[in-house]
Amino acid sequence: MLEEAGFIEVSTGPPVDTFGGAPGEEKARTYDVHGYGFIARKPAGSTGAR
Amino acid sequence: MRSPSSVTATPAEAPVDPNALRDEVRRKYREVAREPGAKHHFHTGRPLARLLGYPNEWVDELPETAVESFAGVANPFALRPLESGENVVDVGSGAGFDSFIAAGQVGSRGSVTGIDMTNEMLDKSRHNAEQIGLSKVSFRQGLAEALPVADASADVVISNGVFNLCPDKRAAFAQVMRVLAPGGYLQFADIANGRPVPPEALRQIDLWTG
Repeated sequence: MLEEAGFIEVSTGPPVDTFGGAPGEEKARTYDVHGYGFIARKPAGSTGAR
Repeated sequence: MRSPSSVTATPAEAPVDPNALRDEVRRKYREVAREPGAKHHFHTGRPLARLLGYPNEWVDELPETAVESFAGVANPFALRPLESGENVVDVGSGAGFDSFIAAGQVGSRGSVTGIDMTNEMLDKSRHNAEQIGLSKVSFRQGLAEALPVADASADVVISNGVFNLCPDKRAAFAQVMRVLAPGGYLQFADIANGRPVPPEALRQIDLWTG
């Protein structure tokens, strides 16, 4: 989705067990939901949104 | 490491009524602003910051009212620390936790503009900014899909646990692209699912927020 929006150099960090031990843990486990860091750049020559 | 199946745990376009979803998100985060210590489906505050790897020295510098309503999902500064002088937009700034950490990293030559749609969070973030004495941090009401920020005015856009709650993610990312200066960074934290969520489950608003 980020590349569709025109971002480049998209990178994802390691998963974090965001819901571990929280009341929402069971639902999170059902769909293997974790937190992640993401980074991306707007191209240097870009003037706006696609 | 297994890659997440999508950037966020919910689809690009919501199979639920966008206004109903926003109302439910406001209700949930109004609770987090007013009663941060109540039982929520996610962790909050200082224990969450520790779980997500925020260094204690960053958190200890902030007033408790800025920390207690923190409800992020990972650390948007983990992949790239901000640089002195950068102008930052924080999408879904909540009580200001990440905005204040960003302000510390960009210093007095930089600026931070937080955007949030929940009045109670905006009130809390503005109060916290006054308490800390930060003049280069401001907060505005707005939606991720319609950011009240000028074109190409941000060096960096940060966010934490917000895009997954947006009814129209493509519009939100298009807005980020619009407000970023050429070469600017989007660095954010969000949830993603390793297993697909069935369509019938995606139509349940309470699954989006809880």
